[in-house]
Amino acid sequence: MIAFQSVSKQYTHGDAQGSYALHDVTLAIGKGELVYLAGPSGAGKSTLMKMVAGVERPTSGKVIVSGHDVGRIKPAGIPFLRRNIGIIFQQQRLLNDRNILANTMLPMLVTGARTAEAEQRARAALDKVGLLDRARAMPLELSGGEQQRVAVARAIVNRPQIILADEPTANLDRVAADKVLDALRSFHAVGVTCVISTHDDYVLERAERVIRLENGQLVGGAA
Amino acid sequence: MSPWLRQHRFALVAALSTVRKSPGSFLFNVLVVALALTLPFAGLTLLDNVRPLSEQLSVDPEISLFMREDVSRPDAQALLPQIRQIVAQGKGEVMFVPREEALESLKARSSLGGVLETLGENPLPDSYVMKLGGFASAGAAAQVDAITERLRALPGVETVQVDSAWVKRLAALLGILRLALLLLAGTLGIVVIAVVFNTIRLQVLTQKEEISVSQLLGATNDFIHRPFFYTGALLGLCAGGVALGVVALALHPLNGAIAEFARLYGSQFQLMTLGGLEIAGLLAVSAGLGLIGAMLSVRRHLARGR
Repeated sequence: MIAFQSVSKQYTHGDAQGSYALHDVTLAIGKGELVYLAGPSGAGKSTLMKMVAGVERPTSGKVIVSGHDVGRIKPAGIPFLRRNIGIIFQQQRLLNDRNILANTMLPMLVTGARTAEAEQRARAALDKVGLLDRARAMPLELSGGEQQRVAVARAIVNRPQIILADEPTANLDRVAADKVLDALRSFHAVGVTCVISTHDDYVLERAERVIRLENGQLVGGAA
Repeated sequence: MSPWLRQHRFALVAALSTVRKSPGSFLFNVLVVALALTLPFAGLTLLDNVRPLSEQLSVDPEISLFMREDVSRPDAQALLPQIRQIVAQGKGEVMFVPREEALESLKARSSLGGVLETLGENPLPDSYVMKLGGFASAGAAAQVDAITERLRALPGVETVQVDSAWVKRLAALLGILRLALLLLAGTLGIVVIAVVFNTIRLQVLTQKEEISVSQLLGATNDFIHRPFFYTGALLGLCAGGVALGVVALALHPLNGAIAEFARLYGSQFQLMTLGGLEIAGLLAVSAGLGLIGAMLSVRRHLARGR
């Protein structure tokens, strides 16, 4: 499902060559796997996830997602790649000027889906994360944990093949974090590939497979 | 409804939603753009009204044909059928003026009576005076010239005078006015594009987060750009409507003054608003200018942000 083949990412600052965000990373994540990306801040977890979503392109090597070489996809093709990926951000990034339902419907609407169908699917997604009764609430009326669950609902509304969650439990208390993780595990249970980045030991304690990164290099869990 | 149409409807709703969120700002921008559009629209309305008037006013060109002194009266009068034939292209009116009648007329109309008495004999030749009613339009000056040439070629003709210079002048004046209006419209069109460009730039900045999130959720560039295009076109369209409204309102007091002026010339001339087709055309142009401004802004600012 996801494969990194000798992938390096080096940022340049003007003419100067910067440090490596990822260096010679090779790994494979199979279809339907639940994988945790672990490592301290700056280890390269976010860069790795951005590459899967087509936000960043490798400086060298290949990133294969669902059979497509991300580095070779034309810019116009990237949105179509992303429609198969549900992304959960650390800071949720909900749109504060529209309600929870509208936020959750957005991934459907960008694909040209019917409003009625988008609403129906958004309601189902909110139901799965236990927030259907808050559908008409505005994001700022919700707690951090609830906002993160809305972000999960938004990520799954399109029924993606892959879910990328970047530090989804950061800033959440244990109860809220468990709810978010339970929701993600339930999608993994129905065959969705989940990649969750975290540096929270509490989350990693229950992980089956952990890919560890340090200073942009893979230090464990590659295959 | 096809996905394509649905996406357009979504973009239109998104654009209207943006307007609804900040109606004051939108209204202000509409007024600024309308201000720029009012001047060329007013000029166009004026030209549209003056064009038929100029055709009406083109005062039937008058041609005077003077016979040589040695041509006898019967020979001079014998030319009448030929002259009628030449002039018959239009609705010409031909009048033979005997030299005696011309002299009497000159004496009566000028203060040269005494001078003419001292001459002893009549210095004026027999002549024809023609009014070319069918060549009224300013653009017909070339045809008047052609008739003049044919008259000049008739036997016994000394000179042919034609007063069509004013027709040419009018045509030239209208041409200059049209060109000036075109230049003015072009300049103000750029102003409209610039205003819309800046309005959309600010919107892009305001909605930066929404754009970024939408991109990550799989929105295509078209999906992201479309609402801004609709906003620009909507802004242009509303401004065009306001500008046309202002011009229509301005016609009322203007017509009051014009009616008084026209009455002195025995005319009932009044400025009229543009026809439905012209109004639709101007609204389309206004919306088009807004769309161009939005497209330029979106291409520039969203391409930069990527």
